[in-house]
Amino acid sequence: MSDPVPLIELENLHRSFGSMQALRGLTCRIPTGRVGLLGPNGAGKSTLLKILLGLLPPSGGRGRVLGRELGSAGSELRQLIGYMPEADGLVSGLRGVDYVALAGELCGMPRREARRRAHEVLTYLELEDARYRVLDEYSLGMKQRLKLAQALVHDPPVLLLDEPTSGLDPSGRDAMLELLGKLGREHHKSLILCTHLLGDVERVCSTVLILHKGRLLRQGAVSELCARRQDRYILQIEGDPTAFRDELTLEGVNVVADNKRGEWRVTVPNGFVTRAFFSLASNHGVLIRGLSVDDESLEELFYRVLAEADPDG
Amino acid sequence: MAELNPVLLRYRGWRGSLSDNGATVTVLFGLGQFALLGLAAILTGYIQLATLTLFMLNFSLVVRSRAWPVARIAIEQLFCRRLFWGLYGLSLTVFLMYFFGQYLMSWAQNQLGESEVRVGAVGKVNPKWLLDFLRNALKFNGSAEMFRNFFWYETNSVMITLALSGSVLIGNDLRHGSLSFYLSKPLERWHYLLGKGLAVTGFLNLFTTLPAIVLFVQFGLLESWDYFADHSQLLFGIVAYGLVLSIHLTVILLALASWLRNTVPLVMAWMTLFAFAQGVSSALVDGLHYSPRWRLVDMWNCTFLIGNHLLSVPSEAIRPAPQPPVGEAALVLGLVGFLCLTLLILRVRAVEVVS
Repeated sequence: MSDPVPLIELENLHRSFGSMQALRGLTCRIPTGRVGLLGPNGAGKSTLLKILLGLLPPSGGRGRVLGRELGSAGSELRQLIGYMPEADGLVSGLRGVDYVALAGELCGMPRREARRRAHEVLTYLELEDARYRVLDEYSLGMKQRLKLAQALVHDPPVLLLDEPTSGLDPSGRDAMLELLGKLGREHHKSLILCTHLLGDVERVCSTVLILHKGRLLRQGAVSELCARRQDRYILQIEGDPTAFRDELTLEGVNVVADNKRGEWRVTVPNGFVTRAFFSLASNHGVLIRGLSVDDESLEELFYRVLAEADPDG
Repeated sequence: MAELNPVLLRYRGWRGSLSDNGATVTVLFGLGQFALLGLAAILTGYIQLATLTLFMLNFSLVVRSRAWPVARIAIEQLFCRRLFWGLYGLSLTVFLMYFFGQYLMSWAQNQLGESEVRVGAVGKVNPKWLLDFLRNALKFNGSAEMFRNFFWYETNSVMITLALSGSVLIGNDLRHGSLSFYLSKPLERWHYLLGKGLAVTGFLNLFTTLPAIVLFVQFGLLESWDYFADHSQLLFGIVAYGLVLSIHLTVILLALASWLRNTVPLVMAWMTLFAFAQGVSSALVDGLHYSPRWRLVDMWNCTFLIGNHLLSVPSEAIRPAPQPPVGEAALVLGLVGFLCLTLLILRVRAVEVVS
């Protein structure tokens, strides 16, 4: 059985602007699904998005999105990808339904179909009451949903979302992330989520790409990258910790974080047996109320990977 | 976003097929049309007819392309403003003056046997005098001069309308980031420019070419069928004049609007280009008796001169006189058009879809 067509396939992809190298030899193969694109400012995310949208040809290397060659299939790629921009990009003076229908027409839908579909998508995104309102009257949350509607109107297999929760209040953000997750899980849309909010990626995406200075630092499933590290624990203690802490240090245990309310995050040396925590605590009159393995969050992973790549930064 | 109605709120895919953007077809069709035009011109000699056919066929193609939704939305945005309806009404009064003037002339022609006829509030007049007045003073005679004058009057309201519409048409797209919305779709930048150009062209022709063609047809029906055969060159001139106005004014307007974006500076620049330049050239040539080539700084005059040439108006009937050679006027328009198009393309290319 042949492999399914991957969502993104890059082979030594380069892009330079004069002497500035924006992307330096990206190589990856990302299966269809929910992908998070992470990186600090200047990492090359926007350049990669432009290349994926067929707006910019790569300077070198090759790449494909769902089997379509990058650089030669400009408008074909944009037909395949529904793009939700970070900036508003609304056509002033239009009503919601006209705007979404226009997006459909521009993607090649017949006018009548585009209009019918615009009503359907706006209803799905719970904007049915606001669809005849002029865009200038929309709230920020509604504008975000409207931007999603215009990306979704021609039912593309891939959605490229640039900061989809930007400016939303916590409940609006929750609702948006739930919606995106649903589109990915239940409706089998491939999502490429580009955001600075790592929590959003953690909630929605199954795969991440971490870019830094035009290089791909990490790629893979979130669950694998953030797999439990066997050398990190969370200790919850009660009592005077000073002597206990000194004793732990002598044993090679490093307290990496102390919240001053009795919770420590520690790393232990190879071969350290967790039972030793209890005996040492007992020796120093400290009570251990909790001991658990410390999972690495995506945020921690992100900063660790960046620190490893750029120790001086 | 709690699910209120699970049936309505269920996502359903779309099963239709999407059309491509038709770029290849457009180019091939255009080349094919030019080949047909050449063939028709060689075989029949009716180059005007062939040109009109080409124009119509290419227009129908554009209607099917991705540029059309861009143009349609731009026209809708213009027409949802009351100001434009007011200006359109103003231009319509000029058209109606000609339209009913031609009827009056036809009626006066039928009254030539009478010594006096009563004309509404004007009172009793001699029909021969009335006919002379309408035919020679007002030029309601179906001649090239009549259409030249009609275009001249209509262009005045067109100029005001265009100056006010530039920011709505393209300035707002750059100011509010709508351009990145268009360009994030399977649309090339030339589709966008073509769409906006089509909107201005459509708007402009609604003021000028279309009513002029209606007047041409009306005059032929009132006069005789021979008028159409004898004046086919005139119909070509009307369409060509409309085309020159459309292309030239569209490119200048879009370039200015992409550069200045807001209405007030745009109006000021527009007035400088077309009104102030006219005053300067008139002062230099008519007042200080400088070379008539100074009129070339006035682009409105340049289009007027080319229009006269296309309508085959005799050079002695062109006012103000003297005028520069028409070829030089065409060269100036071409040069300005090229510069504006370059500026426009650079402006649109500079827009970032992904910020």
